[in-house]
Amino acid sequence: MITAEISPPKGTDTSPMLRDCALLEGIVDAVNVTDNQRAVMRMSPLAACSVLEEKGLETIMHITCRDRNRLALQSDLIGAYSQGIKNVLVMTGDHPSKGDHEGAKPVYDLDSVQLLGMIRKLDQGFDLCGNELNGKTDFCAGAVTNTILNEVGLIKFRKKIKMGAIFFQTQAVFDIRDFAEFMEKTSEMRSKKVKIIAGIIPLRSESSAHFLNSVPGIRVPDDMIKKMKDTKDPKEGMKIAADIIRELRTMCDGVHIMPISNHENTKVLLEMAGLI
Amino acid sequence: MIISRQKELNDILQLLAEKNIFIIGCGKCAKKQRVGGEPEVKDMKKRLEAAGKNITGWTVLSSACSISSWMEVLSMNPEIKKSDALLIMSCGGGVSVISGFAGLQVYPALDTVSLGGVVCNEVVTEQCGMCGDCTIWLYGGICPVIQCAKGLLNGPCGGAREGKCEIDERLCAWDKIFERLKELKKLENLEKINEPKDHAKKIRVKT
Repeated sequence: MITAEISPPKGTDTSPMLRDCALLEGIVDAVNVTDNQRAVMRMSPLAACSVLEEKGLETIMHITCRDRNRLALQSDLIGAYSQGIKNVLVMTGDHPSKGDHEGAKPVYDLDSVQLLGMIRKLDQGFDLCGNELNGKTDFCAGAVTNTILNEVGLIKFRKKIKMGAIFFQTQAVFDIRDFAEFMEKTSEMRSKKVKIIAGIIPLRSESSAHFLNSVPGIRVPDDMIKKMKDTKDPKEGMKIAADIIRELRTMCDGVHIMPISNHENTKVLLEMAGLI
Repeated sequence: MIISRQKELNDILQLLAEKNIFIIGCGKCAKKQRVGGEPEVKDMKKRLEAAGKNITGWTVLSSACSISSWMEVLSMNPEIKKSDALLIMSCGGGVSVISGFAGLQVYPALDTVSLGGVVCNEVVTEQCGMCGDCTIWLYGGICPVIQCAKGLLNGPCGGAREGKCEIDERLCAWDKIFERLKELKKLENLEKINEPKDHAKKIRVKT
């Protein structure tokens, strides 16, 4: 399984998003559409997914707990389903203070575990309060996870499975040992039904490696940073990412490509990794 | 204890359109936190006078949010009648109660931020999220509604970096909850799926 991240536009013009998607034609199984990522206001993923579904793309709609209460989340979920959006990726969402609307009221009426539970209810034909729906959903619901998890993080991972997550998209993987440890630690909680899709961010420069190292849940090993520092090859970051993908192939169920800017190099990356 | 902090003087001066101001402090929480007791009220008087205001008088009520008789306050402080406005150095509770009695313009000098306490003379903030549906024992006595920046009830968000919360330098509340429950030998509490809060219990609470 190969998925790729797409950001909805900051504004009404969908053409840059469609151009980015065109670069992915025939090489990914689904596009993964973000929900005001990093708490920066953009077009709603419901609208963006709807546009992309109309173009024949399979979408995975991100849905965060940050911006909507339980009524709005349910409205959007049944609305999304009616637009042909069948896959959702549930997450808490970065705090508004990290984004471009610092003063926004943080909602978090539900957390990601509760949101997964609510989706399961919608799938059974009921809303959160048990009222019957006229037409139910049938979502493929997933959640996100860091690969470096402490004990309490692992407990939450287990709760997400319990509440119906059937796939997990991980934070970007740079250290295969961290990833192997994560797979080992979670192996007992995961049945074969729960799929793991590893996040991939191709490094662009030494400074991007340093920046990513400051992102929660990401650890870029020192030797990789040194490689980026010493190299004169503009494709070094892609080579590193391709090596990671090759190693991950036998370890998990798929990869999710999250380039720092657009998808101009995604095809080449997947070719380098031998996936296409 | 209600946790409040003083507004910036410039912000207070922006509020105070009136000339003749009477200042009321509070002898409970605001005094303890040194934001609205006698020394702070006197300091405010000095600063406002320096900014050209006429301070008609001041008092520190034993508790600004608990007034048995406004008549008594007036009789003890007749200068209030010669004032155009009151500046209250208490939490929002006090400001609101006094506003209900005073019959003249009332301004807050503090911003009310959370419900906390005092431990060994040290003020601790954000101890209770006032959700109206207390389940704090499940979390070892650490309230995730307020201590977790996102109020998450089923575990951490994954945004902490080296144990610090995504939004500031504070430790991740969920790490604290884990450690406390471990100490109490109640880690099994963490396995419970906690349902969304019933916010109907919070709004318009019956007294």
